[in-house]
Amino acid sequence: MAGEIYRLEGLHYAYPDSASRFALEIESLLVGGGETLALVGPNGAGKSTLLMILAFLARPYGGRLVFRGGNPWASEAGVVAARREAVLVTHHPYLFKGTVGENLAFGLKLRGVPEADWPKRVGAALDLVELSGRERANVQALSAGQVQRVALARAVVLEPKVLLLDEPTAALDAALGLRIEAVLRELGREAETAVVFSTHDFSQARRLADEVLYLSEGRRVEYGHLNCFSGTASTDGERSWIEPAPGARIVFPGERTGHVTCVIDPASIDVRPADGLSGDAGPNVFAGKITRMDLISPSSALLRVSGDLTFRVTMPMEDVEAKGLSLSKAVLLELRPDSVDAGHD
Amino acid sequence: MIFRELGLAIWISFKTSGLAALIASFLAVPAALFLAGREFRGKRAILLVNQTWMAAPTVVIGLLFYSLLGRSGPLGGLGLLYTQTAMTIGQVFLVLPLILGFSYTALRQVDKRARLTALTLGATRRQAGWIVLREARFALLTAVLAGFARAISEIGIAMMLGGNIRHATRNITTSIALETAKGEFRNGVILGVILLVITLGTNILVQSGLRTKDGE
Repeated sequence: MAGEIYRLEGLHYAYPDSASRFALEIESLLVGGGETLALVGPNGAGKSTLLMILAFLARPYGGRLVFRGGNPWASEAGVVAARREAVLVTHHPYLFKGTVGENLAFGLKLRGVPEADWPKRVGAALDLVELSGRERANVQALSAGQVQRVALARAVVLEPKVLLLDEPTAALDAALGLRIEAVLRELGREAETAVVFSTHDFSQARRLADEVLYLSEGRRVEYGHLNCFSGTASTDGERSWIEPAPGARIVFPGERTGHVTCVIDPASIDVRPADGLSGDAGPNVFAGKITRMDLISPSSALLRVSGDLTFRVTMPMEDVEAKGLSLSKAVLLELRPDSVDAGHD
Repeated sequence: MIFRELGLAIWISFKTSGLAALIASFLAVPAALFLAGREFRGKRAILLVNQTWMAAPTVVIGLLFYSLLGRSGPLGGLGLLYTQTAMTIGQVFLVLPLILGFSYTALRQVDKRARLTALTLGATRRQAGWIVLREARFALLTAVLAGFARAISEIGIAMMLGGNIRHATRNITTSIALETAKGEFRNGVILGVILLVITLGTNILVQSGLRTKDGE
């Protein structure tokens, strides 16, 4: 960690004058220079709110938020200075009326960057997002994906200490999403820019992030609840697996061997009533009971299934109802191999 | 000679009404920015009063300021009655609610993300306010021009506070009234046409401003 960027201690936030009972509570969080942190969790978990707080656009009402050793909220000038080092790109970015070049030059002008340097820096930032030569394009003529990329370039051109991104690849096709991921990795490695991004794509979090913060209902969920298993992977040439518990086997695609960590996206686990069947139903199938059910959004639930292993599973409410799942119900839980991500520690 | 007088009346109209629209804009636009960006108790009442004031007849505003600026009024000592300054003051209060109302609507229509984006890119609160104004610039220009058109075409305030004094406070509308009263319909019609051309030109500017806004 090249120097501490953020330190959060006992942070509390609630929407002012809102009927919503949502509150964000982060007990502790550390982000260092050049580090990449992924925020994952269901809709309404507090990912965007946390990004707003980290961008100093929302003020926490309790706890401590230390940014590069100081408290920016101590003065108006401190907040403006901190915002100039921690730039947020929102999920639906707004581009100012005018051209792409004018949008990219906006922050440079505010920072007093000499006008002679603008073209070079703007050009380089547009190259990064594969929009070379589009400086004069009117923003009204851009597609949603292009708007997202211009917004990213508008932040990158400022060479901030921290880049905060709310679902940065949501509006992009897969190939371009991977390209943007490469840009983010490069920024972390070469420019020592700390990157904090939110995503629903768990494997993206895994690919990009040094650390993953899983949020649910405004609270940090323990990392272990992400269904992470470490173990020694075996392979028969086609499939790899680890055995996290006696008699249990988790199969994942690829040919990894040696010590690996498996990560399972809680949204990609299938749960169905056991209907008299018991455990040992084969690889990736586990028997257990539903020991907890929480509504995490109006349309989805977080289930805890305990057996030989404990899993947390997110499911659409309509599936929960259609399958007749309820507390204490005996269930079989199945992991699709493609829902299991495995990597060396 | 008559053309010189007509020219002077046109000049006085432009001067008093242009100044009134400008002064009212400096007051109304920041007020609209404040109102558009905040929710507070009493805001609806302010907007309601503004809307009512927008529909106030010009003679009522003229009467109000006549009672203030007249010799026996509280501001009578300033000696402003029957001056171009008095006409401008009255017209400021005539067009202020109009510009405020139009500007408020224009600024409410600016995407809320504009201010947030400016802030996250490092703008101060004041700079972010400027960005919001810039994003609504064509609609704001429309509001100012609409205010000008309203001021230049009114007669109640010009007559009551200006007094229709030759070479001093006689403007286009009071000239039309005078020429018509004298039976000089030709002069009245010429001035009427000039006034129509001015308001038409202003409206064309307003419309082209709106079109530019839509087309951006």
